[in-house]
Amino acid sequence: MLEIKNLHKSFQDTEVLKGIDFRVNKGEVIALLGSSGSGKTTLLRCISFLESADKGELIFDDFRKDITHIRKKEIRSLRMKMGFVFQGYHLFHNKTALQNVMEGLVTARKIPVSEAKKTAELMLDKVGMSDRSDYYPDQLSGGQQQRVAIARAIALSPEVILFDEPTSALDPELTNEVLQVMKMLANEGTTMIVVTHEMNFAREVADRIVFMENGVIVEEGGAKEFFTFPKIESTKRFLRRTLCDYEYSI
Amino acid sequence: MIMSERLVNILITSFMKILIPCIQVTIPLTIIVFAISLVLAFFLALVQVMNVRWLKNAARIYIWIFRGTPLLVQLFIIFYGLASLGISIPAFPSAVIAFSLNLAAYNSETIRSAILSVPKGQTEAGYMVGMNYRQIMIRIILPQAMRMAFPNLFNSLIGLTKDTSLASSITVIELFKSAQQIAGRYFEPFALYCEAAVIYLLLCSLLTLLQSCLEKKLIWKQPDRKGDNRIEKGGQI
Repeated sequence: MLEIKNLHKSFQDTEVLKGIDFRVNKGEVIALLGSSGSGKTTLLRCISFLESADKGELIFDDFRKDITHIRKKEIRSLRMKMGFVFQGYHLFHNKTALQNVMEGLVTARKIPVSEAKKTAELMLDKVGMSDRSDYYPDQLSGGQQQRVAIARAIALSPEVILFDEPTSALDPELTNEVLQVMKMLANEGTTMIVVTHEMNFAREVADRIVFMENGVIVEEGGAKEFFTFPKIESTKRFLRRTLCDYEYSI
Repeated sequence: MIMSERLVNILITSFMKILIPCIQVTIPLTIIVFAISLVLAFFLALVQVMNVRWLKNAARIYIWIFRGTPLLVQLFIIFYGLASLGISIPAFPSAVIAFSLNLAAYNSETIRSAILSVPKGQTEAGYMVGMNYRQIMIRIILPQAMRMAFPNLFNSLIGLTKDTSLASSITVIELFKSAQQIAGRYFEPFALYCEAAVIYLLLCSLLTLLQSCLEKKLIWKQPDRKGDNRIEKGGQI
């Protein structure tokens, strides 16, 4: 459904993505793993045009084009098919939870307010936030804000949702409530690309794991296979570090 | 004793004589100038934030000139200077033009910095729900920026209220000028100028009250928290 070919991106002199080939099929949940600075977030931001890539090709359903030559209008219509959940939530601060979810429906998709409100209420209910619909972001906990942000993304019924470390800003208790919502979406067959450090979530929920290191995808495969029989040394090292904290001796 | 009785009489009779030009000139001048300067300031700020090529540089030069020269000099150039070139503008419009142009330069910087202080994530989130730049600006960025700019803009309104007294130097009969005339007539400069000061103080006190009322309204309304005290700041990461 969504495919990226030979994607390159540099910031000044540092090459962050060094030729990424990446593909998501409909209904698939992909976990993007890798240590900090490996380029996971940049990859997600290039796919959603929040960063402009230097080179590469993007294929989205029937749409196929050099990623550096995509016009503003095309970017906007491609973004209409994507949802994005940010690490820092980025709810609109001047709008209530309900208005946050309605905004994209009313302003960008020109859906009548009454209908948009119904959809928004439904989505807030889905993420367990209907009792907070009149609250402003500042009045919500981090976990609650992120759940509203997820409602905002799914309300637009995107074909794929990109999650950029959705729980890294949350404490463990709040992390769980967000992961539960994401798990529910995955079970419903939502296509998702999730950049995460939550290994258990990746193992349980993801269909496929993509592991990145220094701007390249070094290993990818089914979740079970990836966690039980990692093929290359850097993956093994990464898994040792992230899964078995108790092995550290100080 | 006789002196002080005379003084009290002067103060009472002059009060209305000062208050009328205050209501007829000072207040309208303040309101008109502030309104014009806000519109102009918005334009100046937006062309800079949106990086409109030629207009951006023009805006920078404009701000450079009007912040870099004294208001009194600007007033004199527009009223006396232009008149000597054959372009004569009456006193009140001259004051409106000079004050508006000057204040717009300052207010535009306030508005520009408020717009820039809205986190980038708000724009990105707007893009990702499918909005275009204009929609994001109008519906997301500007409402947040205005809330941030509000105290500073009100500050400049209070400053302007007092600065309008400079218009007296280009023959506008406003609050201060009329106090000056009465002071000259009765040879009581101390009492009359103090009276003028008190009226300015009253005006600004009213504005301060108005500011705190409006600020309370501007804070996005707070529903009852129903005992939920798990409030964390959703900061930028």
